[in-house]
Amino acid sequence: MRLLLAKILVVVTGVMILAVALVFAIFQNS
Amino acid sequence: MRYFIWGLFWIGVYLGLALFPCLILLYGTMPGGYGFWWDFSMALGFAATSMMALMFFLTARFKRAALPFGVDIIYYFHKHISLLFFLFAAAHAVILLSTEPVVWEMLRPSQINRYMAAGIVSFVLLGLIVFSSLWRKQLQIHYDNWRLIHAFLAVAAFILALVHIEGVGYYIATPAKRIIWGTIMGCWLLLLLYVRIIKPVALLSRPYKVRKIIPEKGNAYTLVIVPEQHQCIDFLPGQFVWLSMYHSPLSMKEHPFSISSAPEQKGELHFTIKELGDFTRRIKDTPKGQPVYIDGPYGAFTIDRHPSEHGYVFIAGGIGIAPIRSMLGSLAARGDSRTHILFFGGSTLEKLTFYEELNALKERLDLKTVYLLEHPPWDWQGESGFLDTGILKRHLPSHLKELKYFICGPVPMVQLAEKELHKIGVPLHHLHSELFDFV
Repeated sequence: MRLLLAKILVVVTGVMILAVALVFAIFQNS
Repeated sequence: MRYFIWGLFWIGVYLGLALFPCLILLYGTMPGGYGFWWDFSMALGFAATSMMALMFFLTARFKRAALPFGVDIIYYFHKHISLLFFLFAAAHAVILLSTEPVVWEMLRPSQINRYMAAGIVSFVLLGLIVFSSLWRKQLQIHYDNWRLIHAFLAVAAFILALVHIEGVGYYIATPAKRIIWGTIMGCWLLLLLYVRIIKPVALLSRPYKVRKIIPEKGNAYTLVIVPEQHQCIDFLPGQFVWLSMYHSPLSMKEHPFSISSAPEQKGELHFTIKELGDFTRRIKDTPKGQPVYIDGPYGAFTIDRHPSEHGYVFIAGGIGIAPIRSMLGSLAARGDSRTHILFFGGSTLEKLTFYEELNALKERLDLKTVYLLEHPPWDWQGESGFLDTGILKRHLPSHLKELKYFICGPVPMVQLAEKELHKIGVPLHHLHSELFDFV
């Protein structure tokens, strides 16, 4: 269960960073 | 609940620190955009550097941050998140190379400058780190050598990434951003200094020495150490420490071992270590008085985080019995009157470490022991093979869903035990495990 939570956290971190990177790129070019 | 809230807090801190450099880019005056893919790629590059810095935070073993999760899970997270940031760094390069012809120009040998070269070398070093970490055993790299290489490459890759960002400088050109970015870099470098220099030096002032080595069943030895003119560490039963022996803590040649004695056994620490590799094979020949340095205690695998349960079920595989012996010894020393069950698996009866001691413990503790043998003798009356729902149902009481389960051993054994317990209805939050091979 702890391994699963660690994996979920890795995915959540990845998604959040991608989201911020996207927002940055959109803001820069809007 | 307290640990859950602290866990959420530290996850928030991690995400905040990982995203901070990207958010700084969005602050204040921004330079003109170079197109969506260019800017997206730059943000990924910043995020990858930030995550690289946080690798030092993850492995710095800050006790408060590690407590809600357990250090084993933090190292597991470190391993997986490093793949993610390597992918981000790769995406940063691939996007630029595939969308911006000017980048190819900048990489021509006659055109390349020091900060572009720094970025390329940093990325190559990251690749080497990932490759050598994922396939260390297959490449037959000795653990101690691998740790040194890993640390050296990580520091070099990180500093080169900072040189790359500083050299490009496009998004951090305003004075305010330079100050903020400079502060972030300063904090990261201080963290690096703390992890690699300050903390190991502090350990030198609290040495221990070997009092004796006790041979145990199952090719294991119990190393007994005592503090030299200072207090022994306070620990909870089931926790572990990082142990440096034969070398200074500055050498980074340290290994994680569970404390196998109970905290009630004041003034000394026991570590029961199986002969598995180069370091563990030397234990039996260690002379009395050998200096030892320990960093700890760490670990969330302890009954003391769940003190008022109906009872505990312990499941151990092989040398996974070490932290469980600490917990059982502690329960006995405290005069605990609840009923506890121990499932202990090993290849043969002769190889079950602490077999006699565990049986003797039943005099002082209401403990039911269930031994599972892979290769039982012909007249064996007990259980054999691997743990399954049939064995669990035969030995667990009807209120099995109210008990707390502590599982320790090799990863496949821990995963199997968790799966089988879940099948018979044990709630997932009642399962607690310690991963032995997390490094």
